[in-house]
Amino acid sequence: MKAFANIHPLVEMTYFMSVLIVSMFFSHPVLQTEALIGGILFCAALQGKKAARDIGFYLTLFLMVAVTNPLFSHNGVTPLFFLNGNPVTLEAVLYGVLLAVTVIGVLLWCKAYGEIMTSDKFLYLFGKAIPKLSLVLSMALRFIPAYLRQSRRVSRAQKAMGLYSGKSITDRVKNQARVFIAMISWSLENAMETSASMKARGYGKKGRTNFSLFRFYASDGVLLCLCLLLFMIPIMGAACGITRFTFYPRVDKIETTPAAIVVYAAFGMLALLPFILEVKEAIVWNCYRSKI
Amino acid sequence: MELLQVENLSFRYPKAERDALHQINFSVNAGEFILLCGVSGCGKTTLLRLLKKELAPVGEKSGRILYESKSLNSPEKAGFVQQNPESQIVTDKVWHELAFGLENMGAPTEVIRRRVGEMASFFGIEGWFRRKTDELSGGQKQLLNLASVMVMQPDLLILDEPTGQLDPIAAADFISTLQKINRELGLTILLAEHRLEEVFPIADRVLVLENGSVILDDKPREIGRKLSPCHPMFYAMPSAVRIRQGLETNDPYPLTVREGREFLERNFKGDTQMPTEPKLPEGDTAAELKNVWFRYEKDAPDVLRGVSLKVRCGEVFCILGGNGAGKTTALNVIAGLDRAYRGKVMIGGRTIKDYKGGALYRNNIALLPQNPQTVFVKETVRADLAEISEAMGIPKKEHKNHIEKIAAKLGISNLLDRHPYDLSGGEQQKCALAKVLLSNPKILLLDEPTKGIDAYAKQNLQKILRGLSQNGKAVILVTHDVEFAAEISDRCAFIFDGEILSADTPQKFFAENSFYTTAANRMARGLWKNAVTCEQVIECCRAEGARL
Amino acid sequence: MKKWISYGIFCLLIPAVVICGTVLFPAKRYAWVSLCVALLSCLPVFLQFERKSVDAKRLILIASMTALSVLGRILFTPIPAFKPVTALVVITSMYFGSEAGFLTGSLSAVISNFWFGQGPWTPFQMFGWGILGFIGGLLAKRLKHSRILLALYGAIAGVLYSAAMDIWTVFWADGAFNLSRYIAILASSLPFTAIYAVSNVIFLLLFCKPIGKILERVQIKYGL
Repeated sequence: MKAFANIHPLVEMTYFMSVLIVSMFFSHPVLQTEALIGGILFCAALQGKKAARDIGFYLTLFLMVAVTNPLFSHNGVTPLFFLNGNPVTLEAVLYGVLLAVTVIGVLLWCKAYGEIMTSDKFLYLFGKAIPKLSLVLSMALRFIPAYLRQSRRVSRAQKAMGLYSGKSITDRVKNQARVFIAMISWSLENAMETSASMKARGYGKKGRTNFSLFRFYASDGVLLCLCLLLFMIPIMGAACGITRFTFYPRVDKIETTPAAIVVYAAFGMLALLPFILEVKEAIVWNCYRSKI
Repeated sequence: MELLQVENLSFRYPKAERDALHQINFSVNAGEFILLCGVSGCGKTTLLRLLKKELAPVGEKSGRILYESKSLNSPEKAGFVQQNPESQIVTDKVWHELAFGLENMGAPTEVIRRRVGEMASFFGIEGWFRRKTDELSGGQKQLLNLASVMVMQPDLLILDEPTGQLDPIAAADFISTLQKINRELGLTILLAEHRLEEVFPIADRVLVLENGSVILDDKPREIGRKLSPCHPMFYAMPSAVRIRQGLETNDPYPLTVREGREFLERNFKGDTQMPTEPKLPEGDTAAELKNVWFRYEKDAPDVLRGVSLKVRCGEVFCILGGNGAGKTTALNVIAGLDRAYRGKVMIGGRTIKDYKGGALYRNNIALLPQNPQTVFVKETVRADLAEISEAMGIPKKEHKNHIEKIAAKLGISNLLDRHPYDLSGGEQQKCALAKVLLSNPKILLLDEPTKGIDAYAKQNLQKILRGLSQNGKAVILVTHDVEFAAEISDRCAFIFDGEILSADTPQKFFAENSFYTTAANRMARGLWKNAVTCEQVIECCRAEGARL
Repeated sequence: MKKWISYGIFCLLIPAVVICGTVLFPAKRYAWVSLCVALLSCLPVFLQFERKSVDAKRLILIASMTALSVLGRILFTPIPAFKPVTALVVITSMYFGSEAGFLTGSLSAVISNFWFGQGPWTPFQMFGWGILGFIGGLLAKRLKHSRILLALYGAIAGVLYSAAMDIWTVFWADGAFNLSRYIAILASSLPFTAIYAVSNVIFLLLFCKPIGKILERVQIKYGL
């Protein structure tokens, strides 16, 4: 997903939020299925073979959510059979399936979000709105690996003095905690040196600006507009009640009016947008190569 | 043109009994390279911090600091670089770190982009411009700190022991970058340093600080002449100066290796022999590695490839080598922190695997890590020492006695009730050493013990280690510091690419090397091949002088 | 300007979010509203912090404590739910005030999820850890004096935190509160909730004194 990872963070964030809002808060079989398919394709393209390892987990989760739903919900008018005197209804089973599709769709999109929206993009986006906190985030991100290394050093140093080497779980928790406390002392002392370095470079003056390496190109603007348009269509659909779909007491029919088709198509395109971009990029690159 | 003037500056910390700085007067001309030196605690850092308004310590101040004849001093005018490369970095990305100062000044994106790009290419940072700051080496980090101060286009650059935590190669690189900035950009530099070998010759002027007063302010060559050999700072002087000081001639003071060599060759013929070779201790074998192989992970490359060495009781053994050659790993394998996957590690005649539980670290082996701060976990030095006494099974009543005995031995009795982090680098190291020694080891391992401590503390450490080895302890140390190794060790070994290439007495060891050797040896090697330390060179000269 | 934004959040944004949710997402309106409210509740504290001029030392202190809590979450990964995060957030807040506590808590949630995975739970963790810190700061005086109260606070915080998170899961799944599902989820997460609450108590008792001493020392030595 190189093509998608290289566009402007603002566009990426808008895109993920659009997809996540629809996939999380809509409850429509067609849209939710589209979100799931988009999520699967995105993660597969991102991680390649590595993604296959998680299939087992997702399948189990799917069955868990789908199968257990009728136990919690006895609404619906089409009983399939009775369990401990409670009806297991067709509607509840179908709702369970939709729920499972939604849950897994959302998890996959969150995973894709985590892969694409790396911390520097996140910091850039919030750098303007909350500059101080984004600086705090940036510092914390810098400290974590340094602290991790130092805590390893401390525990090795203690081990080589024959201290804190008990094997039982309580000993280990205690040792870890003591090393951790020593770490806090160390980190705060160092932090004060860092604050000196910040002041020495003029931190605290009024009118601090925010620098980033990201540039907003015209193509990013086009993509942003497209993204917002494709997002607004299902939202309008929701406002007009087109995407309203209920399971209880009886499962609705899936609408096939032209307006509904437009909504399905728009969200389908949105969910597949990164994939389409990737394919486009590959084609462009191939043409370019063949011309050389 | 005078850029900076300090007039009658005195400073006293709150609740202190005497002035940290007393009646300091000096001035700095634009474009000068000034070196500030003095033993730890002489007031260097206080003085430098007072020159930078944002970092000025709290206390009673009198006198004036004038900057271009005004008392104002805005942050972009004077850049400040501190000792620890790690703790000065604020953000997580190299490019963001470079931009940080300009962001604070409120510079617009386009200006920042240009200046950051310019600096990155001047300092050769392009290659790691988009990297995480955490992944950089110490030398790169310090270079980044320098560059991120330089983007603010200061008129004066103040550096407080910037190479203290770097290995000699990175330190030399850093110093030559400073020289480049001074020569090519005409930037005024005020540098405090304790490793003077490289800096001393390139400075325009040297200020020597003692107990908060400037005792000398002169050209480097004159400082060499004026500084008494009894002064604690003398040990930090470049080898050429120290050798010249030990001899009675009227020649001007040489500063660099080249000048020193010319000086020696002009005056001596080198037809005497280096006096007696020291005898090697012949104690029992304390530690032995037999064909040891080690790697960190299954698929990672080998870090140690068939290392074999033998260290005897009463011996000081130095392992030298470049970064990543496997020095520290070898030490960790001896310390039992890393396990060799092939080969044998014998400690006191038994294989290391036979030591169960903490037995290896009781009356056997102790390791002083590179960063002494990793040793402390308590609020006072005393509490830290008590902790290990308890672990050693010493009855509570005897703790006090026991601790005070070792404290007196290492000269830290007055530090026992202080917080470890309030001590200077040298003091921290002595306290850490005390904690480590309380386990009464037969073998003491030290990782880079001279890092971040000044020449005076180094000499002190040398005395302590000598005393330990005379008591029959084996001391194994890993270091980059060839001068220190030459002075302290009975034998030196060179490790490269995971293998020990040679192990011999320092005289033979350094005589065989041509680049990786002490400055004194580089000066004298044409005359006396195996004179390694300044004292040995002086001894040879005197022997010849006496004969002539 | 920003002052008005922070008032505006409560007066305008929250009702707007509620109306939007009811109209657009009738099936998931509770889930939507609670997610947005959790997120929006963090904003006033954030904006308040942005508006003030904050000393570099304080800024870096919050960054350090955040990094330490995330580190705690990483170091104790092998034992599920056994995490020192809440304890550290509460201690920060006890010594440096409610605001520092809230920020440490909510930023720890954002950052640690860069490692553990972002998701719909992120806003709740932000708000959850934030508010636990905030309240800890308000009770600072009492918590410093009584270890029993401290342990109690840790335990209650642990239970409430889990219970509240599970409510959202139910909202999201059913679109309304479904008691049988809630009980099932509570029961299945019971071991985790228990470990979590116990770990809060253990870490608070284990850390409070030594870390308190360190923080007090730093406060004095560096004049915070």
